[in-house]
Amino acid sequence: MASTEDDRQVRISKIAGRYLVFDIDDVTYIRRQHGICAVFTGTMPQNPTQNVFLGLPLELYAEDAKMLLDRKVAYIADDPLEHLTRLKSMDDETRKSYLQSIKTQRRTAQLVIDEAKAQSQARHKDKRKPKQPQPPVVVPTELPPASVDDAAAVEQEGGEEFLFESSSNKPVKTAPAPPQKPPVKEQLPAITPTTSNAMISTGTSNPDVENHTALPLYSYLNERGYFITPGLRFGGDFSVYPGDPFRYHAHYMANSYGWDEKIPMLDLVTSGRLGTAVKKSFLMGGQKPATDDSEAGELRAFCIEWAGM
Amino acid sequence: MEEVEEAEDAPTADFRLFASTYSKTKNISAQTIRKGGKDFESHGTRAQASALDASREAMRDVLSYTRVHNPKSGSRGWYFPDWWRDWPEDWEEQQKSKGGKEGEEKEKIPPLHIRDRVVILEHASVASQSLGRAATGLPKDRPAKGRDWLLPEEALYLVERGSLDLWWPTRGVEEIFPADGSVAAAAAAAAEAEGEQKGDGNEEDEDDEYKYGFPLSLQAAYALLIGEDGERGKVSLQKFQVFSHLKRAGYNVIRAPTTNLPPPVQDDTQLTTTTTPAKPKTVTEWLISCLPQSKESSPVDPPPYGPLVPPGLYRSYNTIYNHLSLRPQASPTDQPRVPAQSPETDSPFKIHYHIYKASTHFTRTRPPPPDFYISVISATSTTIPTLSEISSLLASAPADLPKTEWLTGGPGRLYARLKHGYRNVLLAVNDHGVINYMRFAEGGFAREELFRGFDGRVSGEPRRGGGGGGGGKKSGNNGRGSRGGRGGGRGGGRDYYPDLPAKGVVAGR
Repeated sequence: MASTEDDRQVRISKIAGRYLVFDIDDVTYIRRQHGICAVFTGTMPQNPTQNVFLGLPLELYAEDAKMLLDRKVAYIADDPLEHLTRLKSMDDETRKSYLQSIKTQRRTAQLVIDEAKAQSQARHKDKRKPKQPQPPVVVPTELPPASVDDAAAVEQEGGEEFLFESSSNKPVKTAPAPPQKPPVKEQLPAITPTTSNAMISTGTSNPDVENHTALPLYSYLNERGYFITPGLRFGGDFSVYPGDPFRYHAHYMANSYGWDEKIPMLDLVTSGRLGTAVKKSFLMGGQKPATDDSEAGELRAFCIEWAGM
Repeated sequence: MEEVEEAEDAPTADFRLFASTYSKTKNISAQTIRKGGKDFESHGTRAQASALDASREAMRDVLSYTRVHNPKSGSRGWYFPDWWRDWPEDWEEQQKSKGGKEGEEKEKIPPLHIRDRVVILEHASVASQSLGRAATGLPKDRPAKGRDWLLPEEALYLVERGSLDLWWPTRGVEEIFPADGSVAAAAAAAAEAEGEQKGDGNEEDEDDEYKYGFPLSLQAAYALLIGEDGERGKVSLQKFQVFSHLKRAGYNVIRAPTTNLPPPVQDDTQLTTTTTPAKPKTVTEWLISCLPQSKESSPVDPPPYGPLVPPGLYRSYNTIYNHLSLRPQASPTDQPRVPAQSPETDSPFKIHYHIYKASTHFTRTRPPPPDFYISVISATSTTIPTLSEISSLLASAPADLPKTEWLTGGPGRLYARLKHGYRNVLLAVNDHGVINYMRFAEGGFAREELFRGFDGRVSGEPRRGGGGGGGGKKSGNNGRGSRGGRGGGRGGGRDYYPDLPAKGVVAGR
């Protein structure tokens, strides 16, 4: 993956004015390289009845999208339009390659399932007749458990192998051939790929990003290594973390203001008290508007803490 | 404070925990799990870096999962956005009224939203009991008769949780779901599987299995099903996020009717607390009741000039307070209300979903009265509702009275009544996927006439006289009572609150 990261273009899907990322590689890339963690909003198929761990897609702030766009590492795709046009008039070649990629993934999924089945069978066999020497047929037990994972990863990458040929340098077929008994007359399992990469070419469509009023403060904090998530949990515009939220608690509760905006004193007290109550300090910032003689606005940020006199 | 922080931070919790708990992808040893072990800040150690790396790797592993469907489960759905486009929304009503059965009570079925239903299921089992609906009363020869159709949010939720395999059709409904009730595509898939068993070379030239369409990705499902607010056959991302958040938590959720007509009131609890004067029991009481206090229950029109409380002899506080109450107060009722002014069509404050607790017995065609009504609001682009917005929002929900024991509990349950209110709506505030729920209720402050306690049994209703409430109010009234002077002590012997010095009060001039 590292080889492709230099010229990686993150696909940001703009759907109904929202900015979503569907590709897990994109997600890890912007998290590692650009300090953007955003919010996972999707249901986890592995365990869909909980709200603590959520999965793809990742919903970005407009500020995130604009920032990535300005850094020239992302493009914004009008997903509904692209999908509709592609789906409604799909040429044979695309169709074939799309179906082929799906088929590949289905085969891989079948392999994984077979393997898991064989493993569990072997385990049961072991339990039942511990003294019997293992039949050599059951190769899967000797595999490291990670092979399942490998296969799963392959399965994931299957959809993209047309895009990132170099990435699939892992031993793809570590899984052994399915048990040699004649395969049961079964259909291959169906799959739902996460991304449409196999169907949609990397587009260059570039709709504008709107509503990024807090961009100055946002990118100011981001450039200094802070991670930003929505502030709703603590009652500000943003929650600001000193690093990846996986490791750290938020330090600040940030609000963005205009340079000449009048801020009621009471707001300061309210936000300050609120921040203190959740053990964050209240951060406010704004950018000096561009004037005739100075074009780049200076940004100032302040922290407010309780004096406790 | 600590608990608050832990709880608040939980949503960003460590994926390593997930990876180990639900090891569908990876076995991670228990030692790597450290719940809640966040650091204050970076101290540049390798341990910290590797812990972070492990977390990120675990996240990657978990999220790399691809949704796999068992071919036997029949989990396929097809996207047909235009099948119901011009169908009359009140089709079922029409059918019912045509079909006679006049004498029978009309069953109230929830609105079908048929024009918004865009995904057809091959097997109803996918949707279980709570999702999807079939249109009834269709002509016999109509294709796909009796099949369940999903709303966009339902379809997307099922795709996301890995229960639905969404396909893009390349043929029409009538070919995939012929009127004879078979599913052509399913047969084709089965045949394809057969063919593959026999001679496996055929997938290159003829892909029979994909004759009728092909599977869509999660991304495509989002692209097709998420739209702007009010777009037909789509759902806004905010609403979808709230919908799936509630579904994941185990609630049953159905789309609320789009018309703002209030649902009929189910509750028949009597709310009438208008004070009927208690029948005089003794001669003294009868005499007292003859004194001018008849207007106590209805607010009087104040005279155009002069003191609010005309000079005279007053036997109870009630009369005086009634004289003093100048402003008409809204008192909540259980009557269905039509919003006073037609709510602005672009107001975001509307009831969007009806919510049922998991414990409520629920069927999609005959749902009981909802447990909650919810309105989905954007945290960033919406302001606090105006009075007209909030009152028309509340008016569109039926009355939800406090519990009967609260209603009859007298002053002791005052705060329970006030807190619960007489009708309420939940607001789901969505900030880029982080959702907060708030409850807006209509408090019945006008119903809680605290001054009634001051009179003891004289004119207050008997049930309000009891209970230990009003304790805090007494001291506040002491000063006023001592100012009154004249007529004090007349009502002695009936003194309910012994520390109230005077019962009769005459307004000063």
